[in-house]
Amino acid sequence: MTDITLTVNGEEKTASVPPETTLLKMLREDLNYTGAKLGCDVGDCGACTVLVDGIAVNACLMLAGQAEGKNIETIEGLSTLEEYHPIQKAFEDVASLQCGFCGPGMIMSTKALIDQGEELTRDDIKDALSGNLCRCTGYTKIIEGVIDAYEEITGKKVPETNPRAA
Amino acid sequence: MADDVKTKEKTESLESLRKADDNLRLPTVPERTLFPKEIGIAPAREQTPAVGQRATRPDGRMHGLGQTKYIDDMFFPGMLHAKIKRACISHAKIKSIDVSEAEKMPGVMATLIGKEIPVNSFGPSYQDQPLLADDIVRHAGDGVAAVAAVTEQQALDALEKIKIVYEELTPVYDPMEAMKDDAVKIHNGESNVYSSKTIIKGDVEQGFKDSDFIFEKTFTTQMVEHVPMEPHASIAEWDANGRVTLHTSLGRITLGRADVSRTLDLPINRIRMIATVVGGNFGGKNEITTEPILALLSKKTGRPVKCVFTREDEFISSTTRHPFVMEYKTGMSKEGKIMARKVRLVCDGGAYCSWSETTLGKACILSAGPYNIDNLHVDAYAVYTNKTMTGAMRGFGAPQVCFAYESHMDDMAKELGIEPLEIRFMNAFNEGSTSPTGQLLEAVVVTDSLKMASERFGWKEWQK
Amino acid sequence: MKHRGKGIGCMWYPIGFTVLANPSAATVKINEDGTATLLTGTVETGQGSLTVLGQIAAEALGVSTDDVHVVSGDTDTTPMDTGAIASRTTYVSGNAIKLAAENARQILFEVAAPMLDVRPDQLEAVDRKIQVKYFPQRCLPIADVALQAQFVMGRPPIGSASYNPPTVGMDPETGQGKPFSTYVYATQCAEIEVDDETGEVEVIYMSAAHDCGTAINPMLVEGQIEGGISMGIGYALQEEMLFDDDGKQINPNLTNYIMPTSLDMPKIDVDIVENFDPTGPFGAKGVGEPTAVPTAAAICNAIHDAVGVRITSLPATAEKVLKAIKELRDGGEQKALPAAE
Repeated sequence: MTDITLTVNGEEKTASVPPETTLLKMLREDLNYTGAKLGCDVGDCGACTVLVDGIAVNACLMLAGQAEGKNIETIEGLSTLEEYHPIQKAFEDVASLQCGFCGPGMIMSTKALIDQGEELTRDDIKDALSGNLCRCTGYTKIIEGVIDAYEEITGKKVPETNPRAA
Repeated sequence: MADDVKTKEKTESLESLRKADDNLRLPTVPERTLFPKEIGIAPAREQTPAVGQRATRPDGRMHGLGQTKYIDDMFFPGMLHAKIKRACISHAKIKSIDVSEAEKMPGVMATLIGKEIPVNSFGPSYQDQPLLADDIVRHAGDGVAAVAAVTEQQALDALEKIKIVYEELTPVYDPMEAMKDDAVKIHNGESNVYSSKTIIKGDVEQGFKDSDFIFEKTFTTQMVEHVPMEPHASIAEWDANGRVTLHTSLGRITLGRADVSRTLDLPINRIRMIATVVGGNFGGKNEITTEPILALLSKKTGRPVKCVFTREDEFISSTTRHPFVMEYKTGMSKEGKIMARKVRLVCDGGAYCSWSETTLGKACILSAGPYNIDNLHVDAYAVYTNKTMTGAMRGFGAPQVCFAYESHMDDMAKELGIEPLEIRFMNAFNEGSTSPTGQLLEAVVVTDSLKMASERFGWKEWQK
Repeated sequence: MKHRGKGIGCMWYPIGFTVLANPSAATVKINEDGTATLLTGTVETGQGSLTVLGQIAAEALGVSTDDVHVVSGDTDTTPMDTGAIASRTTYVSGNAIKLAAENARQILFEVAAPMLDVRPDQLEAVDRKIQVKYFPQRCLPIADVALQAQFVMGRPPIGSASYNPPTVGMDPETGQGKPFSTYVYATQCAEIEVDDETGEVEVIYMSAAHDCGTAINPMLVEGQIEGGISMGIGYALQEEMLFDDDGKQINPNLTNYIMPTSLDMPKIDVDIVENFDPTGPFGAKGVGEPTAVPTAAAICNAIHDAVGVRITSLPATAEKVLKAIKELRDGGEQKALPAAE
């Protein structure tokens, strides 16, 4: 067993886990943050996406030991008792999520993208979410939700594009 | 100023002392997920009339906050984890199963094999599928034994110690081969064809005679998986009154409960199935999978038992979409009217029936397309093969036949020099049309949908 | 070189089981403040059915979606339901819920009638009020009537009902019969681009016009259609479970089983075809499965339009399309020739 200390959503947390434990398993089973989901356990589906020092990471691919001392953000830390996070609000308002299993990962990838502070196009958003699989929605309303959240947070507009114009 | 600093230092040192003290005395309390005290309600949810509103979803809010509890997010005190040993051989007789070494492995609390299940068969149409194969393995994803252990890893390690002796049987994978009289029979019986359907309307031979042109083509489709993002998951808890509570990712709990009752030989009122949220279904979560196995493991150990499919389990052992072979023959008038159609459908039913019967029936009825055809003859067959079983999946055979009848339609339109949209308008069902089974149709809007979709697309103006 | 093409796919699809009974039951409890609780045995599997079913109950009671709380998915507490299968929830469960809500509402009407000095059959439930038809000035808040029913008249307004689609068995020889109560219809059009050097197909745009009867919640209907199209794109172009010679799957993982990602999705325009089915709850039918039905057909017809090859076996992978293009160029037989009789 190894003692691992890391910061989750601003709180310092310690747990004693076997060395092969992934960050996802530690978050879910030892620290009770079940927001990140296990969909494939090999980094294909993105349902376990969390932010590690601001970067979107598949928590199933990272060992807990690699996260020692790092700053982890999970879906549980987005909203506060006072404020509903704009990404979560946008996703609710346009019904971005259906079964919802991909949702926490999708939203964390979105946060990492918007936090970069760059001007975004629709293609940038599609790129950033391409590691997060969803079977229900066809991604359409998710992208709509991301655009709404981006515009709300940054005050900028995502340019309209027409893929049909060859 | 200096006093302020001193006070601050004092407060801080007291604070750290208190914290150290807390750490010593208090158990770790997990962080509660934060959510706003007052989020408010989207206006569409508060308006009347309710129908037609773009009302938001209360469950959607929970999904976004990460608060939805799927089965895998539930933990019960003393809960064990179960894993299923897969056959990894597509057709074989089981000579023996030895779980004694597995039972000695660290953390292992119980094992289960098929012979221990009171009624080891289930299925929505025919009960031809074992929960754990006990005599014959019919596809490589068949489960043959289960282990419950303290951790998932321990359960996985124990699976490696289960010893099974197989006698290999000749497999058959191609449904056309499996249909032949001399093919190996996958289930005891005279034929691997386990369901057939026929639809006859009018006189198809006369219809062909009255046609100006005859078109024939064969289409095939592949096997695909539902890929719900949440793999199948269940938790069983057997209680002191002999009742079992099952938290399960199942889309049809009432009928699932009947299946559990039958397999466990247990009165229905002693079974509770709870499926409050399912992480994607698409037809793949319409049947029980491990529920009775977990119930028995829970009974054996007196503890709750959870099983979550790995992604590989999901692919190899859950149902899939049927591959079809579809032979189409259509007679057309030179003006572009469908005069007669003959269809032969062969559906690769995999190792067990599951929802194949239903799929075959729907495919058979729908294979004519949304078109008026006076002379129609459809024959359809579902065939056992030694592959992953096929079952319900979004569309029940309709995507297969739609691919065929619509591809066929375009080929015919091209040969006859008729615009693809036009040929569909000419043949489409209208209000009061008669379906292939003789049913009078109402609220029919085929032409409206053709018009709307093509206008939105800009079909007529569109240029390469 | 890249070639654009357009293709169309049209379909019909039934609601509910083929002939077999597939009933749903429901219970609606109106609380003493005029809000309500709906008990249904169906399961929310992502499609938003609980929201839609709540809207149906709310409509029947003349209250808002938020006034109805939906309890589902527990065999100990909720009534029998065949479940989330066969695109049946809105239609079959919805009909049961509408009937259950009407039964509960009838108690309110009977209690309100003497209060409003009219007969129960003169009343309707609209905008959280029980009011006289064609004379809405005479009305009472639904909360007042519910309170009166429960605490003065001692009649808690609870209603239960069930529904099963009417069908006629099919003749075993000819298949003639009425296997379903109703059907939905839809068309999808695809604009695609084929790279003739790689065989790769990109879906650029899709328009989809779907009939679902009355759209109880248009936002959720759109979500179903967009999701169905993504599944249809995977079916048309990418997804295939492969087996080795021993019958073992080669690609039982999401690394090698390729399903659509955000990058594979085209721009989609969704239209809901206006329709009203008199047999459905408030005219509604269903929408879940049909959305995934015509997509592959539309895409393969667009491939044919773009490069002249007819794909007869799904999926239309880049390898398969490229091979067909090569065969066509080498003068191979790709054309379907009519054989006159």
